[in-house]
Amino acid sequence: MIHWKIGTAALLSAALAVGSAAFLAATPLFAQETVKLELWSRQDPSGPLRPGNVVKAAERLNKELEAEGSSKRVEVVVRESPAKGFDDDALQLLKVFGIGEGPDIFIAAHEWICAFQEDGFVLKLDDYIAKYPQHFGTIFPSLWSSAKCPDGTYAIPQDAEARMFFYNKKLLREAGYDAAFVDAMPERALSGDLTMDEVLEIAKQVVDKTKAPYGVLHRPNKGPDYIMVFQAYGSNFVDPQTGKLLLERDKLAAAFGWFERGVKEKVIPANNTAMEFDTLRKEFYTGNAAFWMYGIWDLGSVAFPTYGLPQDEKAFFADWGWIAGPAPQKGGAPVSLTHPIVYAIAADTKEPELAVRLLGHASAADLNTDHAVTTTHLGIKAEQLEDPRYVKAWPLARATELLKITKFLPNNSQFGELNGIIFAGIQGIESGRLSAQQAADFVIEEASATLEDVIVK
Amino acid sequence: MTTIADELTIERRGHAGSASRRRTNFVIFLGPAIVLTILFFIVPVIIDIAVSFTDLSRSLHISEFTTEQYAKVFRTDRRLSQVIGLTFIYVFGTLAIFNVTFGLILAITTTAIRNVSGSFFRGVWLLPRMSPSVLYILLWLWAVSPTEAGLVNQVLMQAFGLDAPLDLLTSAPIALIIISNGFIGASMGMIIFTAAIRGIPEHLFHAAAVDGAGTFAKIRFITLPALRWPISFVTIYQTLSLLVSFEYILLLTKGGPFYDTTVYALYVYRRAFESGQYGYGAALALFLIVIGVVVALIGWRFFDMERLLQRPRIEVH
Repeated sequence: MIHWKIGTAALLSAALAVGSAAFLAATPLFAQETVKLELWSRQDPSGPLRPGNVVKAAERLNKELEAEGSSKRVEVVVRESPAKGFDDDALQLLKVFGIGEGPDIFIAAHEWICAFQEDGFVLKLDDYIAKYPQHFGTIFPSLWSSAKCPDGTYAIPQDAEARMFFYNKKLLREAGYDAAFVDAMPERALSGDLTMDEVLEIAKQVVDKTKAPYGVLHRPNKGPDYIMVFQAYGSNFVDPQTGKLLLERDKLAAAFGWFERGVKEKVIPANNTAMEFDTLRKEFYTGNAAFWMYGIWDLGSVAFPTYGLPQDEKAFFADWGWIAGPAPQKGGAPVSLTHPIVYAIAADTKEPELAVRLLGHASAADLNTDHAVTTTHLGIKAEQLEDPRYVKAWPLARATELLKITKFLPNNSQFGELNGIIFAGIQGIESGRLSAQQAADFVIEEASATLEDVIVK
Repeated sequence: MTTIADELTIERRGHAGSASRRRTNFVIFLGPAIVLTILFFIVPVIIDIAVSFTDLSRSLHISEFTTEQYAKVFRTDRRLSQVIGLTFIYVFGTLAIFNVTFGLILAITTTAIRNVSGSFFRGVWLLPRMSPSVLYILLWLWAVSPTEAGLVNQVLMQAFGLDAPLDLLTSAPIALIIISNGFIGASMGMIIFTAAIRGIPEHLFHAAAVDGAGTFAKIRFITLPALRWPISFVTIYQTLSLLVSFEYILLLTKGGPFYDTTVYALYVYRRAFESGQYGYGAALALFLIVIGVVVALIGWRFFDMERLLQRPRIEVH
């Protein structure tokens, strides 16, 4: 009887112990909390891994959280916007934040970040960046300036690129320039020996002496590339002392003058801004234009896959090439422009720490290299330069040379609107409605009437 | 036996009953329409007026109530005079050439020929109105493409030996927006005028023929006088419609080159939605509403539309 009692008690105790152990083991599972972080991203075929890497980063962060014994897990919900460009996307997102429906994280063109900061929609990141050097410590210092507003850092650089003048060496040779001259152009541009007007002259020779109808083509809509011409002629658009928009009439007129001369010489088509993007690319990559002012990613996104330009470095540089934006006069400074896209975090996100860590993982060198090599964008960290995949993607390595002279668009909250006015000025010149001086006056009048705190010199 | 007083009471009751029935009918039949009119026509105007007195910016924040937007309209906006001038050319040109004149020509010609052929041609002219606007403009973009592939250039270069392709989007953008809008606008006039021409008693034409009237005399002395009211209606309606519509222009020229085809309504859109200046856009839009009302009143007076809406003096059984 006693034996029976002891046996029963032992069995019950064992069952209790096993049950308790199982319950204790299962407890973290029951208590696990899923944090949903909403990511706003534009549907953009030139960078699908910008949101894609954040989604992948969630897996890494969750493993890290598990290892830490945290009960939290992160799930990224991507909210795609159909905006046709980063400017439209930013305007849309500002409205979304305005009605209190903003996401936790968003992807934006860097020059818009201060517009979000001005309205208090974006989280200041300086302390977080310092707290997680393992994630952010090796991002190129120069790129951080594209993420800064007057009182601090508000974004994390996601990529960079280089804007340049691509040129068709075959056409230049056909126009009578010898191979040595044609091949030396990139060096001459970098040293300040090749000038903006010489580009027009070369383009004129091509139009006159070959079947190619176009000399210089540029984007047909508002965007960053043509700002390179204004920077070459000395306009930086922001007063360094006050951070306010700065418009200098003579410098604006000088840059507009370049476009005016281009149209007068029938080198830049009068209807450039009325043409479709695809038509412009087609004209250049099929040998109908001498120069195409655009960015390095165009090789990977369009030139190689769509128009079959040689993907082998040597074969490519035999007939094609690129130069930095030349100096306005001999001995002057050449320019190139980079237009980083950035990750940013909403000021009112409930989990800022997790959002920062998530973006830290999304900025990992290997994930960023995936984006860089598949879309021909430049990496953000020094260690990426040694990645064999990055080394193999020769356009990236070659374009990195331009970073020595690169500039950014100003991080002023009104620059997006100013750029629209500048674009209208270019359109006015090319379609013959305005002279260079009138275009400069137009930009100043329009900006002074519609924007705030514009300094005019 | 009922007294006169009783009869009066019954009559009053009857009147009271019918008055309350009238009120009920009013609420049942006109109520929904009045609610919709208030919701979609009156309330937006009130909101627009309210927004125009704010500094509503791109993040939909209002920090102050101000008359600054009106100061901008009158003092600093130098594009406005050009935009108003262009709008006048666009509205008047489209209306005069296509919506009324061409619509009238289509109605007269398609009612003068055999019924089957007339219906076919009217159907063809209705196609642009039935197509989605994006598709319609895509066809236009192909037709006026500045390359050799454009339809117009193919015809001009191959049939007329033109050397270089024309770029109509840059050289004749205003004509293009008038024509592309006119091709659609003409169909509405065509249908209304056709219906009116069909309503003219046949014997008038026979009598005129007996009197020796030719085709043009019949049009001048029978058809046109009978179309007075439809013409007045189409003119006023289409003027208002042209003043506020801009989707075809936005799709075809984006308002360019430069500001060459930015009509007033498109200008409001560009200011409000492309630049995020919602307060300023609202102030500009308010002027559009005022212009619309003024144009409608002038048209009403000019065409004596009141007479059109009078009750007929003779009752026809």
